[in-house]
Amino acid sequence: MINSILRFGLIFILLVLLQVLMFNNIQFSGYVNPYVYIMFILLLPVEIPSWLLLLLSFGTGMIIDIFSTSPGMHSSASLMAGFVRPYVLRFISPRDGYEPGATPSMFVYGFRWFLLYTVIIVLVHHTTLFYLEVFRLTDFFRTLLRVILSTVFTSGFVLIIEFYRKGR
Amino acid sequence: MRSLLNFLERYNNLIIFLILEGIAFYLLATRNYYHNTRVVNGIRWFTYGIEEKITNTKSYLNLREINENLAAENTALRNSINRLVRNDNSVFFSVSDTVYQQQYQYTTARLTSNSVNKQKNFFTINKGTMNGLTKDMAIIAGGGVAGVIVDCSENFSVAMSLLNLDFRLSARIKSNGYFGSLSWDGRDYRKAILSDIPQHVSVSIGDTIETTGFSAIFPEGVTVGTVIDYEKPGSDFYKITVLLETDFRKLHFVDVVANKRKKEFTELEKQIK
Repeated sequence: MINSILRFGLIFILLVLLQVLMFNNIQFSGYVNPYVYIMFILLLPVEIPSWLLLLLSFGTGMIIDIFSTSPGMHSSASLMAGFVRPYVLRFISPRDGYEPGATPSMFVYGFRWFLLYTVIIVLVHHTTLFYLEVFRLTDFFRTLLRVILSTVFTSGFVLIIEFYRKGR
Repeated sequence: MRSLLNFLERYNNLIIFLILEGIAFYLLATRNYYHNTRVVNGIRWFTYGIEEKITNTKSYLNLREINENLAAENTALRNSINRLVRNDNSVFFSVSDTVYQQQYQYTTARLTSNSVNKQKNFFTINKGTMNGLTKDMAIIAGGGVAGVIVDCSENFSVAMSLLNLDFRLSARIKSNGYFGSLSWDGRDYRKAILSDIPQHVSVSIGDTIETTGFSAIFPEGVTVGTVIDYEKPGSDFYKITVLLETDFRKLHFVDVVANKRKKEFTELEKQIK
């Protein structure tokens, strides 16, 4: 228990630092803004109580908000991601279900499963985030393009990190 | 109580989610300058819409009062225009016009009763001798001829409407100045007949008909209506149908016109006869 708290605490700190120090500074042509910190929500154990999941996602978003001075924006988007995560997990569950105490992982459930899981949740998160950021429905399709491109890049980075996390 | 607990247990995720999302949105809307502006503008747009509706309704309810004010203002303005026009004339035609005073005076009145469906229609207005009204004063409504006062009490006057078989008005075609006699034929409350215009005169539909000022009751140049039809009966004169400027069904406020020089005028005419 203590072990896993420490483990996730470390993952959390690393991801937040990665996000704040590196990815927040990537502004590729204004369309690509990867938000890799969402990976923390992806990696939490499958059987985590959903109230804890919601609180943790909210807290994560809040921390990112504090670093990027956009109160409420990331909180609300990652809360949304945390809210849909149980439904997504149920929707794409493997044939024989999840093992007790399992964490979502590319090496246990396969590359395709992890890709689908990542893309769905990242898409939900980015949709909420980018539409909250522009906060209007004019330029709807421009925002949609930003959502899609950023989802591709965020998912790519998440997959790379996941690959190295287990490969090490 | 039990069902409430069941409800809370069943939807606790959703409730936590909604509470936290509420906090996030609150922060978003209050702590970000841009989002705050958008939210405030949105709310303002919404409340302005409602307030506008309320104001519209209120102003509709106040229309009577506003109308009265406007009518009074109109009268004052007309009085001053008339004064100015006379002064101008006196400057340019000082030989022919030696009278340095206003000829026509206007005052506003409100209708207390009206009819359009009889053969001899009269209407009553809420001013009488106390307000300086006398018999044979002209009544104009919204720039068009409405009638002539036939009797006054202290506070009320009865006027013969243009829609009266006994009403005769000296009127002319504005474009060429030929004048004739206008009367109502007792049929349509929007139409009157202009007769005594000789047939060699060219008349066209749409011509404006105005008063001549010969009668010393109506000022010169008050619009009566427009020509909508004309025919040539057997005689030498046209029978011109005129669409009246004044809609007598919508008559509420009228201007009473007093001719200050009427006495002088009629006495002079009497001497000659």
